[in-house]
Amino acid sequence: MKRIFAILLAAGMLFSLTACGSSSYTADIFAMDTVMKLTANGANAQAGVEAAVKEINRLESQLSNTIASSEISQLNAGGSGTVSEETAQLLSAALTYAQKTEGAFDMTIAPVVSAWGITTDTPRVPSADEISALLQLVGSQHITVSGTSVTLDAGCAIDLGGIAKGYASDRIAAVFAENGVTSGVVSLGGNVYACGMKDKKTGWRVAIQDPRDSANYAAVVTLSNQFAVTSGGYQRYFTAEDGTVYQHIIDPATGYPVKGDLTSVTIIGTNGTMCDAYSTALYVMGKEKAIAYWASHSDEFGLVLITTDGQVLYTPDLEGNLESVEGSSYAYQVIG
Amino acid sequence: MHTKSSVKLRPCWWDGLVVAAVLLLSGAVFFFFYLSNGSGSGDLTAVITHRGEEIGRVDLTALTSEETITVEGTYDLTIVLSSDGAQVISATCPTQDCVHTGKISRAGQSIVCLPEQVVVQLVGAKNGVDAVIG
Repeated sequence: MKRIFAILLAAGMLFSLTACGSSSYTADIFAMDTVMKLTANGANAQAGVEAAVKEINRLESQLSNTIASSEISQLNAGGSGTVSEETAQLLSAALTYAQKTEGAFDMTIAPVVSAWGITTDTPRVPSADEISALLQLVGSQHITVSGTSVTLDAGCAIDLGGIAKGYASDRIAAVFAENGVTSGVVSLGGNVYACGMKDKKTGWRVAIQDPRDSANYAAVVTLSNQFAVTSGGYQRYFTAEDGTVYQHIIDPATGYPVKGDLTSVTIIGTNGTMCDAYSTALYVMGKEKAIAYWASHSDEFGLVLITTDGQVLYTPDLEGNLESVEGSSYAYQVIG
Repeated sequence: MHTKSSVKLRPCWWDGLVVAAVLLLSGAVFFFFYLSNGSGSGDLTAVITHRGEEIGRVDLTALTSEETITVEGTYDLTIVLSSDGAQVISATCPTQDCVHTGKISRAGQSIVCLPEQVVVQLVGAKNGVDAVIG
């Protein structure tokens, strides 16, 4: 009898251990103009993911500039108003990043982005005069945030597309923590949040897409309790009647799509909002300025640049956590 | 004081049976979970969803010729699957992001059509990555 009991006990332990390791919950949703995948592991996985989805929907209804009832749309339509404390803080953060990057990231680019309409049903090439006139509306000096009161100059508008998903990933990190989720990975378009470790020994392996070969990766980074955000112009673009290709990231200094020496920029750090803003900004800056910017802010983030001439350049903090891809035609080099 | 006079220490065939049963169960459990975990193991598979519903799941490594899947909705998409990947070859959507993505061939990669809410995702064990950014 004791022996039969021992067999049953051993079998029960084996099954319980297996169930423990495989408890995982995933949700796929469309929100914030992208497709999102949220995965969590552990006993609280489902509660954590469901709470995170609710949070994303809440943020989209508040920060979108395509949903008419959002705080941002109301602000753009009315030119001034009172917003929630949360939105005011995000606008202040966006202003700070605009100042730090000398306007390479700029949420007031919205009127120029609308004129191009590159991610809409009706993209077009605005005339040089039109762009020149619209550039007069671009710049941090056109927005005033005082407490929760926000004022835009006449004709100006804001677009948080370059920072909202990053902020959402920061909020998901908080929601996961509140729900006791200690292991998970969240992908919000080009934004990834790696929560804790994948298992006891390994972090989350995140691949950076190869911009010049859709079938391949350019590199793989291993992350834990970090955010990674990639910006690049190689997927969202339109071809004009004369055959010219215009990609979707607009340089706030010129009003034209970026035509630089980078095909993709990945920022890795512990603040999703910052990573999102910097990925756009450093893509706009180009290789030389991006490296110089990182050199003076190296305590804030890590960087992976993919250049038009076939290099993968990465910062020393990523050594040991960045893998090249077998058979890749890229030249891999540490910056600095 | 009363003590037990003798304790049998030598293993008997019943003990061997216990060990054999535990080993057998361990093996069975391992193989059951190893083989049944679709997203974590097995061959390269394309999973196609349309407006949140899975409309196709095709084992690409088993394909001997190209397979075409057409998605119809507000916008129509033509997806071609082959043993080495998946590609949206044409779409009537305005932005054409799904067509611009090109051919994908590694597990973890996906093609997304936002206007029609179509996702073509590759899953399988060979990738070893948990997310793709780009």
